[in-house]
Amino acid sequence: MATVQDFSGYTPTWCPGCGDWGIGVAVKTAFSQMGLDPSSLAVVFGIGCSGNMNDFLNAYAIHALHGRAIPNAIGIKIARHNLPVLAIVGDGDCYGEGGNHLVHACRGNHDITVIVHDNGVYGLTTGQVAPTAQKGFKSKSTPGGIIEIPINPLALTITSGATFVAQSFAGDANFTIEMIKLGMKHKGFSLINILQPCVTFNKINTYQYYLQHIYRLPPEYQKNSFTAAVNKAVEMNQEKFPLGVVYESDRPSFTDSIPQLKEKTLFERERFENLESFYPEFL
Amino acid sequence: MTKLLWKIGGEAGFGIVTTGQVFAKIINRQGYYTFDYIQYPSLIRGGHNTIDVMVSDEEVTALKKPVDFLVCLNKDTFEFHKERLTPTSVVIFDPTEFTPDGEFVKIAVPFAEILKTNEGQTVMKNTIALGASLAALGLDLEILNTLLEEQFGKKGEPVVNFNKKFAEEGFSHVKKNYSQSIKQLLPKKETGQKLVMSGNEAFSLASVLADCRLYVAYPMTPSSTILTVLASWQEKNGMVVRHAEDEISVINTAIGAAFAGVRASVGTSGGGFALMVESISLAGVTETPIVIFLAERPGPATGMPTWTEQGDLLFAIHAGHGEFPKIVLAPGDMEEMLELGAKAYNLADVYQTPVIVVSDMLLSESHKSVPREFLDRLKADYKVERGKTVSTPTDTKYLRYKVTDDGISERLIPGAKGFFYQANSYEHLEDSHTTEEAGPRTAQVEKRNKKNQTYLKTHFQPPKLYGAKDSKTVFVGWGSVKGAILDAQKILKLKGQETAFVHFTHVYPMNEEIIKPFFPEGKRYILVENNSQAQFGKLLRAETGIDIKEKLLRYDGRPFWSEDIANYLK
Repeated sequence: MATVQDFSGYTPTWCPGCGDWGIGVAVKTAFSQMGLDPSSLAVVFGIGCSGNMNDFLNAYAIHALHGRAIPNAIGIKIARHNLPVLAIVGDGDCYGEGGNHLVHACRGNHDITVIVHDNGVYGLTTGQVAPTAQKGFKSKSTPGGIIEIPINPLALTITSGATFVAQSFAGDANFTIEMIKLGMKHKGFSLINILQPCVTFNKINTYQYYLQHIYRLPPEYQKNSFTAAVNKAVEMNQEKFPLGVVYESDRPSFTDSIPQLKEKTLFERERFENLESFYPEFL
Repeated sequence: MTKLLWKIGGEAGFGIVTTGQVFAKIINRQGYYTFDYIQYPSLIRGGHNTIDVMVSDEEVTALKKPVDFLVCLNKDTFEFHKERLTPTSVVIFDPTEFTPDGEFVKIAVPFAEILKTNEGQTVMKNTIALGASLAALGLDLEILNTLLEEQFGKKGEPVVNFNKKFAEEGFSHVKKNYSQSIKQLLPKKETGQKLVMSGNEAFSLASVLADCRLYVAYPMTPSSTILTVLASWQEKNGMVVRHAEDEISVINTAIGAAFAGVRASVGTSGGGFALMVESISLAGVTETPIVIFLAERPGPATGMPTWTEQGDLLFAIHAGHGEFPKIVLAPGDMEEMLELGAKAYNLADVYQTPVIVVSDMLLSESHKSVPREFLDRLKADYKVERGKTVSTPTDTKYLRYKVTDDGISERLIPGAKGFFYQANSYEHLEDSHTTEEAGPRTAQVEKRNKKNQTYLKTHFQPPKLYGAKDSKTVFVGWGSVKGAILDAQKILKLKGQETAFVHFTHVYPMNEEIIKPFFPEGKRYILVENNSQAQFGKLLRAETGIDIKEKLLRYDGRPFWSEDIANYLK
C-alpha cells in the first residue's frame, strides 16, 4: 500500500501557516487510506496557490489552465472511467474563471471529485478579491470594498445537479480527509468546498474567524433532502458555515449513462473497423 | 461531355437541401458525378433556400453559371435567379402561384393542386418537384422510389406509397403534358459506386477511420454537421460525442481525454475557435495530441454565418500565445478531406502537438461524388501511427519531456504502474516538474521547436501541380478554391489556353527549400483566395520569401465562379 510519503513530491512553497498545508496533507492521506498509489489515479490542478500542489503531489496529472481543470478532468473520466479523477482548484479558478464549467459538470453528474480551496482571495496574484469574498471586502482590486455579494458554492452546485456537496475546514485535517474520501467514494459529481485561511492576504477570514463561524452538521441531519440541503447552504449568506456532507443523492453518472461505455472503457475497447457500415447513408 | 446544372429553390424550412441531396443521390446511382452548393440564410423559417446540383459524366468540382433546370417552389426562386437562365433552360413552376416571363422552356406543374387533391403536406412539394424533374430529364422513377422505400420503409408501406404517389403525380404530369420538352439527357451509365458526401461528412468518416474515440463540439455553423453525424453514429462505432457547454470546455475535454490516451478531436468555426485559442497553447506546451477542425465562415464576429470565406488562415496559424509547433492542413476537396482528416490524427500523435484542419462553408457543406474505390484504397492504406506513444517507458527512469534529436519524447499513457508525470502547463524540466531556470527553459523551447524540422523532413507534403507544367500562367491557391480553379483550367483549355495551378494543402509550417522550386522566375503567378487580405500570399512570403503580386480575391461571402476565374485571364 502506498504511504503518504509515496504521494509526496517537492516540499511545498506555500506560506507558513497557509491553509493549503492542511489540505495537501489531507489529500495525500485520503489517497493512501483509500489504497491508491500515484499510478492509479489522475489529478487535474487549476492555477493558483492551490494548483501549485502539482509539484508537491505525486500522481498522473495535468496542471491545467486557470479555470479549465474541470473539463480536463471530464475528458480523462470519459476516456478512462475506471480511474479515480480529481480536480484540485481554487475559488477564483473554479467559481470565477471556470464557473460555467462547474455548473455544467454538476448537470452532467460527471464522476469526478472537485476539491476547492476557498480562501476569498487570489493569493498567487497577491491578494485581489475572489468570488467567495464577503461583500465589502477590501482588496487591491477593490479598494472601496467589493460591490458584489459572494457566490454560494454549496447552493450553486446543489441546485445545478451535483449529487455530492460537502464542506470542510483546512484547519481540521482529519475531518477534511473524511470528506475527501466520502467524495471520492461517491459515484457522480462531488464537490468539497474547503474553507482555507490565506494568512498573507486575507486578514478577515482567519483561522479565528472560521472557528467562530463554522459548525459540524449534526448526525441527525438529512443529507438526502434537497430542501434541507438548500436551506443549509444558504446559511453561508449569513456567514454560518456548515461542515460535513450537505447534500448527497443518487443519479446515474455521465459515463454510466453512455451505452458504448458499458463493456469497456473508451481507452480499452477495440478499434472499430467497419467503416463501410456507414456508406449506405451516402448512396 | 454532359454538364448540366439543376437548381431548386423555395422558402427556408421546407426541405430544399434534403431534396437536393436526394436528387444528387439519384444522379449518382444513374452513373453520373455531382457537385452541389447550398445557399441559405441564418434563420430557420421564411428566408430563401436554394441548392445547385452540377451533373456531369466526369468528376465535377464546381458549379457553372447557366442554370439548365430551375425548379421554383416559390416566385422568389425565379426572381432571384432568372438572370442565370438561357433560351434552352427549363423552368418548372406552379401556374397558380405565378407564370414566369421570358425566353426559356416553361413547364407548369400544379404543385398546390396536387397537394390539395391528395391531401399532402407542404413539404411533399419537394417530392412532386423531384418526380417532375426526373420526367423532364428523361429519367424514370425507379431510383427515386427505391430511395423513398429506404427513407420511409420503417414507417410502413402505406407511408412509402403515400410519398411515392406525389413523385408519380409530378412525373406523369410532365410526361403527359410536356413530352416534346423531354430530352433523354442522362442515359444509365455503368460506372463504379460513388458516395455523395459533404466535407463535414468526409471529416466524420476520416475520424472513424483514424480511430478517433472522442469528438467534442459546441454547435456552430458550418461545422455543426460533424457533431450531429458523429453523434448519430456513436452507438454503432463506440465513439463518445460530447456537446459541451462552450468551446473552452470542448477543447479542454478533448485535451483531458487525449492525455488519458484516446484520440480526440474538436470542431468549430471562427468564433468558437477564438475561444479555444488559450487551450491550443496548453496542448502545445503539454505536448498533448489534439485535432481541431476549423470550418471558416465570413467574420469578423458573428459575420455571415451561413456563407463562405477563407478568412481565418493566419488566425489558425498564429493561434495560441507563446511559441510552440503546430501543423495546419487545408484540404481542397472531399477526397483530400478524407485523406488529410485521417492523417491529422496520426500527425497529432506523432508530433504530440495540435493539428488544425482548415475547411470553410463551401467545402464543409457542399457535396461531391467520391468514388468507392477511393475510400477502399484509403482504408487499405491507412495505418494508425501513434509515434512515440508508449504504455511502458523504454527507460526505468521515465522523463516525459526528455530532450531528443527529433524534438519528440516518449508519451506514456497514464496508468502504467510505478510511474507518474504531469502534463504541465508551466514550463517544466524533462521530468515534468515546473521550472523557471534559464537552461531547462531554453532546452524545452528548442526541443519543441525541433518538431517543426522533423515534420518538414518526414510528413510535409509539397503543393501539387495541376495542368500544364510548362505554362507561363500559374494559378496559386490553397484549400477549397481548388475546385473552381480546376474547372476554370478546363474552360480555358477548351478555348486553347493552357495553364498551371499550384495547390497547397500542407499550409503550415512550410520552408523555402521545398517550396522555391515550384516558383521559377519569368512566369505570371496569380494568387486566388476567398478573402480580402490575401492571407496565404502573406504566409508564403513570410515563410519562403516568395511574393505574388497579382491577386484575384473574393470576399462577399460567395465562392468563386470558375467562369470568373477563366474570364480574369482575358
